Amino acid sequence: MTFLPLLFAIYVGEDDRNLAERLKRREPAVMGELYDRYGKLAFSLIYRIVRDVGVAEDLVQETFLRVWNRAQGFDGERGALGPWLLAVARNRAIDYVRSSGGKMTRGAVELEAAEHPSVFVNFEADVLSQDRARRVRGALGRLNENQRHVIELAYFEGLSQSEMAERMGQPLGTVKTWVRTALKNLRDELGEKAITA
Amino acid sequence: MSCDELRDQYELYALGVLDAAERAELDEHLHREGDPCIEGVRRARELMASLALIAPESHPPARLRAKVAGMVGEPKRAWRWTPVWIAATACLAAVAVWLNLARHDDQRALARALLDAQRKNVEMARLTEAFALMNDPAAKQLVFGEGAPKPRGRVFVNPKQGVLLLASNLTPAPSGKIYEMWIIPKGGSPAPAGLFQSGADGTAMYLRKGAVDVATTGAIAVTLEPEAGSQAPTSTPLIVAAL
Repeated sequence: MTFLPLLFAIYVGEDDRNLAERLKRREPAVMGELYDRYGKLAFSLIYRIVRDVGVAEDLVQETFLRVWNRAQGFDGERGALGPWLLAVARNRAIDYVRSSGGKMTRGAVELEAAEHPSVFVNFEADVLSQDRARRVRGALGRLNENQRHVIELAYFEGLSQSEMAERMGQPLGTVKTWVRTALKNLRDELGEKAITA
Repeated sequence: MSCDELRDQYELYALGVLDAAERAELDEHLHREGDPCIEGVRRARELMASLALIAPESHPPARLRAKVAGMVGEPKRAWRWTPVWIAATACLAAVAVWLNLARHDDQRALARALLDAQRKNVEMARLTEAFALMNDPAAKQLVFGEGAPKPRGRVFVNPKQGVLLLASNLTPAPSGKIYEMWIIPKGGSPAPAGLFQSGADGTAMYLRKGAVDVATTGAIAVTLEPEAGSQAPTSTPLIVAAL
């Protein structure tokens, strides 16, 4: 499976800066264009987390509406629109799963902070590029099973290290080692040095 | 702790999954001007943003674009919940300005309340659809798993509205797997009817919208499949409800 058509759309379509400015001017037509650019990726991400088409559909709408409502706080010059929108999508989905699992309170504040538009500034332009996608999948594929599992639990389920340890039935120290090693490997392969090399 | 010691926490902070004590410690660094942790967290956010690309590609329903595009400013459209929440958002924003809410905690609480209301509204919409399907006299009710330890529940087949599954004792599908519904014609091959997940408490409500030919349908079934779904069942059905 591939996001090639989506990534193609991202790179040949209107640039994000222009879309962000139009969002801030509250031009209704921009919502359809924003969806064309990021709708499929947002849906895929949300669906991976909630695993229910109907819920994913609702949460995609909630995501775009939230971006529309918060666009005034977005830095159109330095901001990374795609990563921000996908962070909102991920957080909406994780928040939904937590609330339906009776765990609504934990993490709500962290998720709010993690998706504030002001934090998505000065990102590399290729964060969602085709080459980046290939390298992310490659780097993840080179992690061992436990390391990959903890990364997926953190990213797709929003679990803390303590929660991962409980879920996996492993000592917290062991889980922290897996997480630390996995993140170091990802950093080494995908971090700034690897990008510019 | 020093920035070096906190380095392993940057990505978890960026993902919003640090435990409270760990988060508070890093927050202190992020409030210090020029602290190296600030740039570290920025890079971590960049790295974590790329993880969205590992989600398997899924195809959103074609109607979703129109729904998103129509949420704001479309001149004429049927009544639905989104405009109400746009209005609610505007009202709450106005109230926030009026009260001059300077404290972040207050703003977060306000945003939290709005989101909770939105979520409840989404759930209410799904329940309303489910009740409409069940209450239609044309709906046919099937029971499965009676007397069995798990899973058990009911399937409602409505010729015009679709198939509604209500199940309990259905363990959440493990990582990499998902439940898939099948509509099985009499004497024919199962046709895929959508993917769903059960809740942590083992309950599931899944509505597959669309007309169903009750006369030619033999059974509704559910199997455990790879998370991208399958075109034909690859495992033994966990649920079978015969018409």
